[in-house]
Amino acid sequence: MSQPPVPVRRAASIEVRDLVVRYGAVTAVRGISFSVAAGEHVTLLGPSGCGKTTTLRAIAGLEPPESGEIRIDGQPVFSSSPRVRVPPEQRGLSMVFQSYAIWPHMTVFDNVAYGLRVRKMPEAEIRERVAWALGLVQMRELATRSASKLSGGQQQRVALARAFVFGPAVLLFDEPLSNLDAKLRAEMRLEIKELQRALGITSVYVTHDLEEALAISDRIVVMRDGAIEQAGTPAEIYDLPRNPFVADFVGSANLIEGRPRPELAGPGLVALETAGGAIVHGTAYGRRPGDRMCLSVRTVHVRLSRERPAGAVNVWPATVRRRVFQGDFTQYRLDWDGRTLVVRGVTADPVDEGSTVYLTVEPRHCVLLEGETRPR
Amino acid sequence: MESRARARRLWPGPRLVSLLVGGAAAVLVLYPIAFLLQASLSVGDPQARPPEAYGLGNFADLPRYGHIFANTVSVAVAATVMAVVFGFVMGWILSRTNVPGRGALEQLMALPYYVTPLMGALAWSLIGSPSGGFLNQVWRAVGGESHLIDVTTPYGIAWVMALFEGSVAFVMIGAVMKSMDPALEEASQVLGAGRLRTMLRITLPLVLPGVLGAAIFVFAEMLGSFSAALVLGLPSRFYVVTTAMYQLVSQYPPQFPRAAAMGVSLFGVMFAMVYVYRRIIRAGSYATITGKAFRPRVMDVAGLRWPLLALCGAYLGIAVVLPVVTLLYASFQRLATAFPRASNFTLANYETALSLDAVRTALWDSLLLGLGTASIGVVLMGFLAWMIYRSRLPGVGAIEYVLMFPQAVPRLVFAFGMLWAWLIFPIPIYGTLWLLLIAYLTVFLPLGLRTIAGVMLQIDRSLEESAQMCGASWGYRMRTVTMPLLRPGLIAAWLLLFIASVRELGASILLMGPKAKVITPTIVESWFSTSTELTAAMALLQTLAVSVALVLLFTMARRATQPAGE
Repeated sequence: MSQPPVPVRRAASIEVRDLVVRYGAVTAVRGISFSVAAGEHVTLLGPSGCGKTTTLRAIAGLEPPESGEIRIDGQPVFSSSPRVRVPPEQRGLSMVFQSYAIWPHMTVFDNVAYGLRVRKMPEAEIRERVAWALGLVQMRELATRSASKLSGGQQQRVALARAFVFGPAVLLFDEPLSNLDAKLRAEMRLEIKELQRALGITSVYVTHDLEEALAISDRIVVMRDGAIEQAGTPAEIYDLPRNPFVADFVGSANLIEGRPRPELAGPGLVALETAGGAIVHGTAYGRRPGDRMCLSVRTVHVRLSRERPAGAVNVWPATVRRRVFQGDFTQYRLDWDGRTLVVRGVTADPVDEGSTVYLTVEPRHCVLLEGETRPR
Repeated sequence: MESRARARRLWPGPRLVSLLVGGAAAVLVLYPIAFLLQASLSVGDPQARPPEAYGLGNFADLPRYGHIFANTVSVAVAATVMAVVFGFVMGWILSRTNVPGRGALEQLMALPYYVTPLMGALAWSLIGSPSGGFLNQVWRAVGGESHLIDVTTPYGIAWVMALFEGSVAFVMIGAVMKSMDPALEEASQVLGAGRLRTMLRITLPLVLPGVLGAAIFVFAEMLGSFSAALVLGLPSRFYVVTTAMYQLVSQYPPQFPRAAAMGVSLFGVMFAMVYVYRRIIRAGSYATITGKAFRPRVMDVAGLRWPLLALCGAYLGIAVVLPVVTLLYASFQRLATAFPRASNFTLANYETALSLDAVRTALWDSLLLGLGTASIGVVLMGFLAWMIYRSRLPGVGAIEYVLMFPQAVPRLVFAFGMLWAWLIFPIPIYGTLWLLLIAYLTVFLPLGLRTIAGVMLQIDRSLEESAQMCGASWGYRMRTVTMPLLRPGLIAAWLLLFIASVRELGASILLMGPKAKVITPTIVESWFSTSTELTAAMALLQTLAVSVALVLLFTMARRATQPAGE
């Protein structure tokens, strides 16, 4: 990565406090708070309608919140009391839109130069910076092309270059890869990560795609119904989901419910008995078991074997009901304990449908979930 | 980060301007309507302003004019049925069959709209009036009795109206037929239904709301139409509501309150119609008829291709070619007759028309007004469209509703309200071109707004937002992103406003003063007071002037603004 010809503006921090956004009678965001440190890459992750895009647009200033406070670099850009409303164009941010929003009536060069021209930069400097930015996204040769004649991937690159060329303090991404095909998406994901690191810029990224979130974030904020379900590093979110929603949304997990059997639990472990009578040992990770317990078991953490393996806990027989070949792995649906369990096994040694297998899960992979914090 | 104080000072800018302009436009619409209502409730001396006493007497009197309302409804129903049949048949042929030359024909289908009902009425009067109509002359020459057709009858008037409104119905119905996902019909056939069954069970129910919507829209327009009924009906004393109102206002002493009561009733009915129309359009846009442009499935009509093509040709011939040729033919004759004689041909009508001061100034004033209306209108309506469909300011829904009012008010009725409103206005603009300019800007608000909004709604909001995120201020965004993207819509709106203004009759005929004449009412005056041949020449000169003006303007505009990056 080449050095920018002009120093990039210092990365800024973002604080969101008690943010509420309403559309008429619908509350899209219900009083959420989180912060993004300077230079950090945070992703808002959640299903559609969870309020993540609304939150991003509120930070950008494109959506007027009802109440709360948003600070950028310590300065309030929105606050309900005292009333502060800095218009989007004065917040020093930049944004990549889901639709790319490339202006079809301009060339690639003009699109990228837009933010620099707004800032009344000398034309020579504009040429230098646009060339640098287009170089970073590998679009230098297409500078003179009309923007209406670009492919989806090319438009995405231009949108990126246009967003960072003028050195914004914060870069916002609104599902930028959702309109690309799977292969291009994986490629652009890496490029965006490279770019974030090279620019040292603060970024907030919105997506519903778990892989994308895990790949590019320093921290992930999982949202549902306008509220934050969990915030943490990608590893924390993946390994220690707080509740059934996060466990299920972030990767695929089996949820095993039952009543606590503390007398069976080994040191540092918890144990529960399912409705079918199976005893499952799990790990509390500092969480307190309640009257009803729920363990989350990732589908990749269950091992299948034809012979009964040695081991005292968490070994059960099960029947293979359906086997689905998925390339890199093979997905099994198993009859176990009167219910269905989903397991991802290696493709190299497939187990036949109808056969009986033994399941093993290490207790450290059976993660105790917190009880439901609010009624659904 | 800019300072907080600066942010606060700048932010309300566009908001305040928007509400001021939107509010002013709403007043422009509501002010005359208020006066129309006031006049309709005046029961004292009919000439007194403001009214001496209020009451419902004028409305109680309306049953006396029952035959006029009956005339209006029967003409409108007949014309609507014909127009919708024209529109449906042409729409089906041009969007769903493989008739040759569909692309070009579709463009040509706009022509009847530009011929205007007035020109059509003048021409059809020459063709089909019972005594002197060319067709009836021919009929008698080949041994027929009395006359073959009579366009001065209600059905004749409806026929002339339908020919021109058919092009509107075509545009509306054709759009519905095109916006239907062909997969819906294909699914029916895959499931084993035959072509006929698919047509009856799938195609028809899906296009029906659109056709119904078009029918209601056309019916509302017909109720308020004026020029054909004036030209063809007045000589035989056949009145519809608009012509009766005109008669009540222009007779001596004028019967303002009674005319106002008629106008209010018509307004009420049309308002209900337009309301129903909008409900149908909103509800009928099921999930199946999306805004997406599909490639409609084209039916192979095999041997029927040429007859269907001939049908389209016949419509265009009757609605466009025949009227224009008839007027041309008549305008070069001393005494219009079906049978050409060398001694009868003359250029005198054109010489007279061009030498008449009234015609020259009226034509010039009209072009000037058209230029003014179109240029001011595009800026005003462009801004209003942006405000209504983009700004998300509070209250824009109500403003949109009010601005669409003129669509439900016949222009004559609207002008009547303005007549009263501006007579008492402290700035003396009554009887000047300024009043006409204001009138045109008001009555053409829906036309301009719809045209611009059509393009604006296709521009993704994020195109403007991304400019904002690049730090561009409101003015800068407008100049560099919004306006350039809107250009096709603005040009189309300019064109429509210019053409509509130069040819406006209903509002102009009431509002023009002796010192500020415009061309279309002058043509109508000439029709009633001078010769048919001279009038034909004037109507053609008007069309010629509009065309020349447009060509000139566009050559100039193209030279001035070579689009970049296209």
